[in-house]
Amino acid sequence: MLEVRNLTKIYESGLIKKQYIVAVDDISFEVRKGEIVALVGESGSGKSTTAKIILRLIPPTSGIIKFEGKDIWKDLSSKEELMEYWKNAQPVPQDPYSAFNPSYKIDRALHQALRLIGVDPQDDVGKRLIIESLKQVGLEPSEVLGKYPHQLSGGQRQRILIARCFIVKPKLVVADEPVSMIDASLRGEIMKLIVDLRDIYGTSVIFITHDMNLASALADRIFVMYKGKIIEEGKPDEVIRNPKHEYTRMLIGSIPSIYLKWRDVE
Amino acid sequence: MAKVNKETILSLIKQIRTSESLRMLLRNTRFIVGISILLGLVLFSYLGPLFYPRDPLSVRNPSLLPPSPEYPLGTDMAGRDVLAALMYGTRTSLYVGFLSAGIATILGVIAAALSVAFSGIVDNVVTAIISFLLSVPSMLLALVVAFYLPVRSYEAIALILGITMWAGFARALRARLLSLREEDFINMSKVAGYSTLRIIFEDMMPSVGAYVIIFFATHIDNGMVGEATLSLLGLQPSGGYSLGLMFSQANSQGGVLRGAWWWFGPPGIIIMLVVISMLLVSTAVDEIFNPRLRRE
Amino acid sequence: MSKILDIQDLVSYYVQVIEGRKTYVKAVDGVSIEVKQGEVLGIIGESGCGKSTLARAILADFSPPFQYIRGSIKYNTKDGKTLELHKLSRDMLKKYVWGVEISLVPQFAMNALMPTLKVRKLVMDIMRAHFKEVNEYEVIENVNKVFQSIGLPPDVIDRYPFELSGGMRQRVVLGIVATLRPRIMIADEPTSALDVTTQKMVLKTMLDLKKREYVDSIIFITHEIGAARQIATRFAVMYAGKIVEESPTEEFIEKPYHPYSSLLLRAIPDVAQIMIQEKIVKVRDVLYIGGAPPSLINPPLGCRFHPRCPYAMDICRREEPPMTQIEKNRFAACWLYAKK
Repeated sequence: MLEVRNLTKIYESGLIKKQYIVAVDDISFEVRKGEIVALVGESGSGKSTTAKIILRLIPPTSGIIKFEGKDIWKDLSSKEELMEYWKNAQPVPQDPYSAFNPSYKIDRALHQALRLIGVDPQDDVGKRLIIESLKQVGLEPSEVLGKYPHQLSGGQRQRILIARCFIVKPKLVVADEPVSMIDASLRGEIMKLIVDLRDIYGTSVIFITHDMNLASALADRIFVMYKGKIIEEGKPDEVIRNPKHEYTRMLIGSIPSIYLKWRDVE
Repeated sequence: MAKVNKETILSLIKQIRTSESLRMLLRNTRFIVGISILLGLVLFSYLGPLFYPRDPLSVRNPSLLPPSPEYPLGTDMAGRDVLAALMYGTRTSLYVGFLSAGIATILGVIAAALSVAFSGIVDNVVTAIISFLLSVPSMLLALVVAFYLPVRSYEAIALILGITMWAGFARALRARLLSLREEDFINMSKVAGYSTLRIIFEDMMPSVGAYVIIFFATHIDNGMVGEATLSLLGLQPSGGYSLGLMFSQANSQGGVLRGAWWWFGPPGIIIMLVVISMLLVSTAVDEIFNPRLRRE
Repeated sequence: MSKILDIQDLVSYYVQVIEGRKTYVKAVDGVSIEVKQGEVLGIIGESGCGKSTLARAILADFSPPFQYIRGSIKYNTKDGKTLELHKLSRDMLKKYVWGVEISLVPQFAMNALMPTLKVRKLVMDIMRAHFKEVNEYEVIENVNKVFQSIGLPPDVIDRYPFELSGGMRQRVVLGIVATLRPRIMIADEPTSALDVTTQKMVLKTMLDLKKREYVDSIIFITHEIGAARQIATRFAVMYAGKIVEESPTEEFIEKPYHPYSSLLLRAIPDVAQIMIQEKIVKVRDVLYIGGAPPSLINPPLGCRFHPRCPYAMDICRREEPPMTQIEKNRFAACWLYAKK
């Protein structure tokens, strides 16, 4: 459903003496319908840049991204075509604080989602969709509607961001570190909502994280990124039990697991 | 080029209408006092002549008379009725002040918005223009342009002053908009299909709206003083009269020397009142829109 | 192992005046805990349970609106004196305790390094704040020794903070803290916002500092249990301003006693399931604790966890359970174990 081929993103800086930063280095992968794929890497690995390119927020330097056969950067140009793409590809951002404009009530985020799918937030269908989606993510509508972002907790805000996806029901969700700013004990619960999207609507998920615990718990396949390249891929148990690349081995050796103690830190 | 569509404007209007902050603002003491002073000055200068219909420019009155029942603010050296002249001058000065501040604000907003919306070359060009304008002493620039301009009108003066005032504001506004651009909620609006223009107005402006309003308010008196400077050097339109001119004439024609306080005092007081009223309005706006200062 | 810190029944609240009435945020509500020499105590709990406030309370950093209500904080100094921290004045604490006996590394400390000061200048400022006579050469030599022992490159001292990565900055902060040789180092969420490999480095650094006897004991406050358990020797679980379980690490993980503790452990997805068992446990099997953490202004009556507890009994709703010893060194505050 989503095909990424030879994607590269190079940042240039400087006017006279140019400096090049290769954020994404010739990566290729596929995401099938209804699949949950994890891009695992640390900061500087290029995973977030990849996410933004797939979401059509940053242009690639070279490479092709095809969504259901269409090249999203070359074949889509008109506003309608772009909106159509975004009806099918939505993000779940990392920071539940900065994902809401503090000058507006959180309702606006939900209204934006409704308008994207062509529903008027003021009519009954729209209102019902909002209430349904909030309930689906475990929020009581009367507790969060009409409130400003600073009046809600991080967990509540993150759920609202996922509620947007329940309204839009995109074919692809790109979640960039969706729970890294949330308490460890709440993460599983929120990730379950994303899995719900897949189970109920067949949504594919690209889940970006540095937390291998989380990735292994929900991904069908894991891609390990390091310095802009995909250095390893496979099913979670393959990657974790038999890591081939040295970096992967180091990554796995650093996973803070509750049940396993590191032997080299005594 | 992004189209300003009906949606953007409707949402802007709706924003303003339903704004809780606006209602809070209208109840704020400082705002009310400030606006009242300003309104008072406007009424004084525009409606005053209805109650006091003396010709402000007529020089037929005896010169340099101190205040009396017949001439409540006395007369100046040339024989003008100071009270009538004050009303007329205030009208002009307020007009130039508002117009120049307005032009500067609009230019600044457009420049910053263009810079942030288009980046790349557009950004470089705008930044270069701003840097150039900031490196040139603004008054000097205004003088030179005013001198060579064939048109002599208060609108032209306001335009010139506006052009010299917008650069610093644009730079600061651009910086704020740039940092806003990196926020996640901008991306969220993008994937909701918002056009660049709509994002600037709907997402960014509320956060900087207060700053824009404060800039406008606090530069009205800049405009007035700037006009005074130009008038001092004789660059005002013929037959023009303003508070600045009153001031400068009081100085040059010996009013100050002779202690004719009724002549140079009132214009100064009026300008001060404008400054104070706008300061009050600014702090009120800052307080309401800056959540940290709000006394909830 | 000798006791360094002995806290008994410490109660300290945030006092706010809302609409003319005094409200108390009961962040630390009757906490009793000991810290022995050489141990790493992990204080774990969700956000809002009061654990960061507990760090402040241990330091006796009581300034409005944070008020000391009652309880005792007894601390044994490096030269054998016993201080009652809750009775000391702020000046005394600043001079004799903070930094040199007990040191706090707050959350995001690495971001508090002033970006325009070289590390060297920062170190000198801190030293001068604590000691009257400072010999720059000696101080820098000492600091460099500490830095070297935790694996920082020797030129770090002459760098600006923005030149260093997040992990390095965190270690610089730890290194500077260690130079003052406090008996207890309190670290509040030292691994948040760090990559996994960097986290491991920071944790290793903390242990190294203890091994080399720059610090005697560490109090590690976090919600990331997986990270804490790598270096903690003992866990104290905090909920709604109270400690609900205390236990040595391995035993705690194998068999937690308090219902909250066991739900907490099962709410965190863990890769161990893949590495130990054949079956891959997907997220669907991760439990979550229903409901929400209680308000610290109006906590529930009786046991504070009872509204969310699957084992809640009648007595739980009425009376607060006392801390009961279940085994040697294992305590829990729960009516399942307490005798009535």
